Amino acid sequence: MREISVTMNGRGRKRMVKDNELLLDFLRERLEVRSVKAACWRGECGLCTVVLDGQLVKSCLVLAVEADGREVKTVEGITDDGELAPIQKAFVSHGAAQCGFCTPAWVLATYELLKANPHPSDADLVEATSGLVCRCGTYNQIREAVAEVSAASKMRRQPRESLARAR
Amino acid sequence: MSFGSPYTTLPDFEYHKPTNLGEVLSMLKQYGDDAKLMGGGVGLIAFMKERLMSPAHVIDLKEVKELKLIKNEPEKGLKIGAAVTLSELLEVGVLKKDYTVLHEALSRVADPMIRRRATLVGNLCEAIPWVDSPPALIALDAAVSIAGPDGTRSIPVSGFIRGPVDIDLGPSEIVTAVDVPQLKGSQSAFEKFTGGSEFSLASVAVTLSNGGRNRRVRVVYGSVNSIPIRCDEVEEAIKDGITPGSIRKAAGAASEKVECVDDVLATATYRKHLVKVITIKALRRMMNQ
Repeated sequence: MREISVTMNGRGRKRMVKDNELLLDFLRERLEVRSVKAACWRGECGLCTVVLDGQLVKSCLVLAVEADGREVKTVEGITDDGELAPIQKAFVSHGAAQCGFCTPAWVLATYELLKANPHPSDADLVEATSGLVCRCGTYNQIREAVAEVSAASKMRRQPRESLARAR
Repeated sequence: MSFGSPYTTLPDFEYHKPTNLGEVLSMLKQYGDDAKLMGGGVGLIAFMKERLMSPAHVIDLKEVKELKLIKNEPEKGLKIGAAVTLSELLEVGVLKKDYTVLHEALSRVADPMIRRRATLVGNLCEAIPWVDSPPALIALDAAVSIAGPDGTRSIPVSGFIRGPVDIDLGPSEIVTAVDVPQLKGSQSAFEKFTGGSEFSLASVAVTLSNGGRNRRVRVVYGSVNSIPIRCDEVEEAIKDGITPGSIRKAAGAASEKVECVDDVLATATYRKHLVKVITIKALRRMMNQ
């Protein structure tokens, strides 16, 4: 056992972990973050996805000790004011969650995609989320939710651009 | 609670995080066969969950500074350190243009999240018959740099992979980098068929360089046999250039001469068919390069 310290959704956390412990187990069992789902255990379904130092990774393929001194973000940490992020609202309005088991991972992955690329093409979306599985088959609704957030941010941007042109 | 259940936990081991190559070598000298090196961990963690490997020591290479380098030397080639991830490598500008076959192979490995963790050297050292980087590297005449207690050595990738999950590497040695020579005036392509599986059922890597008089051609098939295999007859068919006629000849030679095996993923007969299809697809794309 050794002690590791992790910045979890902006908050410092310290815990004792075993050398052979997965980041997935550390998050679910020691920090009780249950939005990180344990399903396939072999990096195929992507439902244990978290953001580690700004990068999406599958936490079943990362050791807990590797996260020492680093930042972990889960879906709980994408907004800090208690409000839903635009992509979360769009998931709700498009029915992009059915059983809901995979939803935290999909929200996190599409949130990160939209942050890096506010107007992703369908191909960008498919590529960015190719490591995630939804067994209810809500892929189409997820695509619509992403398209809505993308279109909304375009609309917000346009007035400013026309203003700049007018000047 | 997942602790203790099969396939979800890892065997007990001690974790080490060296920061320079000297430390790695002394750990390897001390622990030898009891240690496993971890690049991205994607393969090792999966193997450990299945108890195919139960090392007493895991040596994480992610912070070893000498292994994180990507060196691009014009004229010579690319040196890719053992801790370089596939994503980092795919961001190297020259890869797509000058090492097209490798770029095409790596950009379709698994998914972006896996590519952020997995390393090229790790991928190579697993020597799983169904992975995509070895055929591409062999088609480029790449070599591995190895460091060990007796100094350093270099060996072609084609000789490094001796069999399925069998590589030419001693227990106290480490692959420090892959060296990929730059091919002058070359055309290349990688093509694979997965059928929705996580692994390829058949893949082909083709390089053809027309620099000067010496035409150099490599056609390497992956996932069809226990190790990547070159096919002389296909190479012969396209050595004078890629035309609709030579593609037809190559496709015929491929389905006739490439030795395919039956395994859990596909039958040999199915693979023979796939080999023909991917050969045609790769060569057609090269014709338009």
